[in-house]
Amino acid sequence: MIEQIRATAREILQNKTVDLVIGYEVGTRGATRPAFICSADEVDRLIWNDACTHNLTNYVRGKRVPPKRDAPPARLGLVLKACDARALNVLLRENQVPRGDLYLIGVVCEGMRQDAGFATRTLGDLQPRCQTCTERVPVVYDSLIGERKTSEVFETSEVWQELDRLGVMTPGERQAFWDAEFARCLRCYACRQVCPACYCVECTAEQLDPEWVGIGICTPEKRFFHTMRAYHLAGRCVGCDECARVCPIGVRLDLLNAWFRREVQQTFDYQAGIDATTLVPLATFKPNENLEL
Amino acid sequence: MNFITHVQLQDWLARMMKDRTVIAPTRAIEDLVRYQPVNSPDAIAFDFTRTAISPKEFFLPASEAILTIERVRQIAAGSNNPEWNVKLGEPELDRSQVLFAIRPCDTHALLALDALLLQEPVDAYYARRRKQTTLIGLACEHPGATCFCTSLSFAPDDSNGMDVMLYPVEGGYALEAQTEKGQVLTDNLALAPYRGERPQKTWLPAEFSVPPRVVWTQLFNDPHWGRLADRCLSCKICAYVCPTCRCFDVRDYIVAQGLGYQKIERLRCWDSCMAEGYQRIAGGHNPRPTKAQRLRNRFYCKFDYYPADFGALACVGCGRCIEYCPVNVDITEVLQSVAIKGETLATNSTRL
Amino acid sequence: MAETTFEPRVVGFLCNWCSYAGANLAGTSRIQYAPNIRIIRVPCSGRVDPLFVVKAFQEGADGVLVLGCHPGDCHYRDGNYYARRRYNLMHGFLDFLGVDARRLKIDWVSAAEGKKFAQVVSDFTQQVRELGPNP
Repeated sequence: MIEQIRATAREILQNKTVDLVIGYEVGTRGATRPAFICSADEVDRLIWNDACTHNLTNYVRGKRVPPKRDAPPARLGLVLKACDARALNVLLRENQVPRGDLYLIGVVCEGMRQDAGFATRTLGDLQPRCQTCTERVPVVYDSLIGERKTSEVFETSEVWQELDRLGVMTPGERQAFWDAEFARCLRCYACRQVCPACYCVECTAEQLDPEWVGIGICTPEKRFFHTMRAYHLAGRCVGCDECARVCPIGVRLDLLNAWFRREVQQTFDYQAGIDATTLVPLATFKPNENLEL
Repeated sequence: MNFITHVQLQDWLARMMKDRTVIAPTRAIEDLVRYQPVNSPDAIAFDFTRTAISPKEFFLPASEAILTIERVRQIAAGSNNPEWNVKLGEPELDRSQVLFAIRPCDTHALLALDALLLQEPVDAYYARRRKQTTLIGLACEHPGATCFCTSLSFAPDDSNGMDVMLYPVEGGYALEAQTEKGQVLTDNLALAPYRGERPQKTWLPAEFSVPPRVVWTQLFNDPHWGRLADRCLSCKICAYVCPTCRCFDVRDYIVAQGLGYQKIERLRCWDSCMAEGYQRIAGGHNPRPTKAQRLRNRFYCKFDYYPADFGALACVGCGRCIEYCPVNVDITEVLQSVAIKGETLATNSTRL
Repeated sequence: MAETTFEPRVVGFLCNWCSYAGANLAGTSRIQYAPNIRIIRVPCSGRVDPLFVVKAFQEGADGVLVLGCHPGDCHYRDGNYYARRRYNLMHGFLDFLGVDARRLKIDWVSAAEGKKFAQVVSDFTQQVRELGPNP
């Protein structure tokens, strides 16, 4: 598969279909990291393994900015897993990038391991999001590499089980749980920065006029920030769980977004990014629907 | 130098906890050791190389009300005119602090911060905490996976800056009080003298050396910074886990308001030059709008500007940034590639 | 020793065209209702960003009411449809975060329903009073 990825990248760079290919490479101390390949003779840096956890769609908007001011925006080649491809559909639906400027190298993914993407860490078991993934094949691509193997799809994972466990607690117990989580948070904003759907030029959390939330790194501010971010992602989060991976303190952001994903699926029968045309549930309505309030 | 057994250590800490806040490493969630105030010696974790987050949060808190203004409107006896009674407050520690088991790298970081913050004009809030905190250092026994203090000419058993220093030995620790503050804590300890050589560890050879300032100056416009920054997320993880990063944001907030009453806090909070909006000034201009400029600034601040201005490296080799960066921006990789480029430049220039 | 009963602080977001007019009608009809509510008039329930509700709880509200036109009767045609979807999700999310679901109520009150307005406010205030102060 690595050879195919490299060959495709080489081809699209040589025939100038794209100006840049974003994929994965080997970093230092055993880490896998995002790679930015701008010429065909660098494609041998590209790899593929079970530590390619990063959601490369996150870099799309940033890398479109051309190196010279009056040049046209860069055309990009992207190596995409199934979840990343759905994230790209979210961007396409929101008109953030024209499809014609992208060449998508879809890769069939058998799942990524925990602690991937960090220096010196030993890879763990399959990540919870991968354990329950029923897709494996990206929904949008220009080239598809790899074949779907019949690997096991878990019924449930620690994330859904934890959601159930929280669901049967009293509101007071849940508040204590979340307060402990938010108290640890440093407001480093890594979760927001790594998320492909969080692309606002000025984040609500940093707006000074109106000031939604102050600059304090205190529990009330952090509670507001995470509530707000999860809500702004409702129906747009694809469940890559990169936010939870990057958090240095291990705040359970995957649970916050999983809650919305489950509700949106159950109430509106909608999963983010399945295609690039359907409106997000919160951007539309049905006049006669009967929703519990 | 004296010898303290494990049991004697627990007793000593327990006695300290009666009238001081003892901050020690504890296991917060799995695999995450952090310095936190503890109420019992049992809560202390000893099996760690260095903590996840640096202890700078006890000297430069993540959020601190550096000034509190309380205004109450009163009418003085015998007068018809209301006046505002203003009370100003600054953060005070209600008890003195002991930071137990601080590693040599983290103490080096405090010494580096002292070079800036204890110099005129003194940062009063940092200075107060620094003065009221006694540092009990613990020499390292083995290197962490990302440690590189020796490459910066520091040592894992360096007692520089510690008030009391502990070296792990058979059956306990070799203990030495080095300052008056340290002696205050150790005065009432009945300890046997330590009969042995001063413990020394030489287990982490220096792998590289820090390129001199002139190399950094020459490489300022090198395209390497842009390529490095491609994958950078502009989050603030590296700055927040770092023991020497100290940049902040300040803003005033009305925290309570009523009829004839107002309480205002001036909040100082961590911020980082990595954030896109950090340097944006009134009017909207941003001197460092690109990721490349910001990431470059991080390394230049540590290895060029800070040493030039304050005489100390703003990096101590703890390796936390390497461990927690989600996209593998590795400071040792940067240092080594700057060194290699520096050599190429030197070779090329001698050919002239 | 006198016992101080807890009086809840209730914030109400009322849409200008229906629920606020309904509140006016309650007033002109001299219908009594719990005075704890602090009303914020908005043009439409669709304007009520769920984050306003979060902020209200953050700033000390013990209960929050969001009242709008009946679905189908929105002055702006479809604002309340969006509100309905948003609050369907947000109500559950706040409960998930530990804010008791009974502290937030979304309802539809038309300009002619002065009595209903008073009833909704009084019932809700009593419910919040029983729940106690927001932790």
